[in-house]
Amino acid sequence: MDPAVLTVLLVALLIAFLGSGVWVALSLFGVAAVAVAAFTPAPVGQLVAVTVWGAGNSWELAALPMFIWMGEILFRSRLSRDLFTGLSPWVAGLPGGLLHVNILGCGLFAAVSGSSAATTATVGRLSLSELGRRGYDEDMTIGTLAGSGTFGLLIPPSIILIVYGVGTDQSIVRLFIAGVVPGLLVIALFMGYVIAWSLLGGGRGAPSATENTGLGERLRAARNLIPVVALIAGVIGAIYTGFASPTEAAAVGVVLSLALSWLTGSMSRRVFVDALMGATRTSCMIAFILCGAAFLAVSMGFVGIPRQLAEWIVSMGLSPALMLMALTVFFVILGCFLDGISVVVLTTSVILPMVEAAGIDLIWFGIYLVLVVEMSQVTPPVGFNLFVLQSLTGRDIMAVARCALPFFLLLAVAVLLIALFPDIVTWLPGRMAG
Amino acid sequence: MKARSVLDRIYLASTVLAACCLVLICLVVAAQVAGRVVDTLAGAVGGNRPGLYVPSAAEFTGYLFVAASFLALAGTFRHGGHIRVTLLLSRLGGGARHRFEIGCLVFAAVFSGFFCVHSILLAFDSYAFGEVSVGLVPVPLWIPQGFMALGLFVFTIAAIDDLACALRGGRPSCQESADTPLGENFTVPEASGDPAAGSGGHLKKTRNRNTSWTRPS
Repeated sequence: MDPAVLTVLLVALLIAFLGSGVWVALSLFGVAAVAVAAFTPAPVGQLVAVTVWGAGNSWELAALPMFIWMGEILFRSRLSRDLFTGLSPWVAGLPGGLLHVNILGCGLFAAVSGSSAATTATVGRLSLSELGRRGYDEDMTIGTLAGSGTFGLLIPPSIILIVYGVGTDQSIVRLFIAGVVPGLLVIALFMGYVIAWSLLGGGRGAPSATENTGLGERLRAARNLIPVVALIAGVIGAIYTGFASPTEAAAVGVVLSLALSWLTGSMSRRVFVDALMGATRTSCMIAFILCGAAFLAVSMGFVGIPRQLAEWIVSMGLSPALMLMALTVFFVILGCFLDGISVVVLTTSVILPMVEAAGIDLIWFGIYLVLVVEMSQVTPPVGFNLFVLQSLTGRDIMAVARCALPFFLLLAVAVLLIALFPDIVTWLPGRMAG
Repeated sequence: MKARSVLDRIYLASTVLAACCLVLICLVVAAQVAGRVVDTLAGAVGGNRPGLYVPSAAEFTGYLFVAASFLALAGTFRHGGHIRVTLLLSRLGGGARHRFEIGCLVFAAVFSGFFCVHSILLAFDSYAFGEVSVGLVPVPLWIPQGFMALGLFVFTIAAIDDLACALRGGRPSCQESADTPLGENFTVPEASGDPAAGSGGHLKKTRNRNTSWTRPS
């Protein structure tokens, strides 16, 4: 059969599966099974079992449940309060005041958790009511939270970068380290925007900077954050220096988070069980999608679609810049309907050879992809951060999306910046030993 | 004991076993790191490195991860933890939606059953040919592969269970809301309004778990 017709057929089949509500993982399995059964002589059942066993049985992937578990533990600790009280005195003097707590709090929590929904919920739980009580502009409060919550995806440890790294055979360590500078860049963009917005007279009724405090008090307020900052420095430092692999750093992170949570008195039998069961289910959900994607990748390889797509792109002679622009639009639309992990696994199993053929660095592409997925977290109708904020604030999802729009655009600026200056991504991993 | 409660216990037991696998991963890997820290410190003070390590830690971790992932399938499914796109489903009326739901469950049951049979065959082959892992500790491969098959078996039962429930006109458990999974599938009960109306994302927005499928028999 003509490969173009085949591709269209399989894409239509995938849309039919997903659209009728079949679970994402099972949809991937289903399309792959149909492709193998209909267009190749390979035995489907044997191929499924062998592929999934080979893909799941992985040391790298074991980092996933560990990082999820660590985030679950800290989500249930008093970190939410500590982040707020510890950061407030430091930023109260800046234009925009405590809005910066949302941004920096998300940045810090993102460095211990790989999930954007967890990040948004942890920081938002307290800051929404506190900022509301102090008369901050509600739209801006929601917008900063929705935008900054997406840091969970980019700033290491990042679940989605593990997924990408395993799917593309890239070093997870390098991906993690590559995410650091772009993460800081986005934080700077967001803070800059809040400052500019505040100076330009935004935020009618925002409190004036009377909450300025002395250095001693600031340090006292921040002392509760020291263990968390130490945890972050330990985990990222161990990975960067090569002392521990991501899986090892994650397991030690779990032990330390348990200890931290126990020492600060927020650990109980119930918290332990809830965190563990939550981590078990989330990790199972992601692992099953990964298994489906692994089978899809193998079956697509059998059918030969990714190779043909790549040849087609090369024959079109698109410049990488044009191709990236097209891909960005494609991913943003895809991200309106699918969650980030599904977007990434579809990319790694089908589009990757095309990206490689265009001569794009795969580490750079991983960070680019995550930034675009971050954008999709705040676009309706399916944006996970929007759901979280909808439930935290009780406001309609479209209203939340409107508040988040400036931050969506800022993320687009960040994508543009890393496209123009790829060094933002590649500089730090390039300096690593080995 | 009623069939309902036996089934629920099976799903729970399987999920708890999966959770134990995660705890084991954490312990094995942390022990591995602890061994290295002791080694490094001993080396730093000029002593002999005792060479502490967990044999075949990486392989054990991989096997435990597979076991954890598959054993938790049924519990996650019953908890509404597997993500799906309900954007279109939520726009459909009750009857049409119910038919789609049954279609999804038929596919889930058939595919997981098919997958389960082939993973049993895989484990059986490994057993018959005496395949072991290549590392320092030779682990017979049928053991971890058997856990994969077991998890798929329980998942198949859960899918059939939900299908039976849907066919009797009930609301399958997989439509229920998860409490607080904190992955990207963070599901939160909707703060206000009719769950079926409004945004229609693919998250399930029901507060009342345990209501529809625990029926008086």
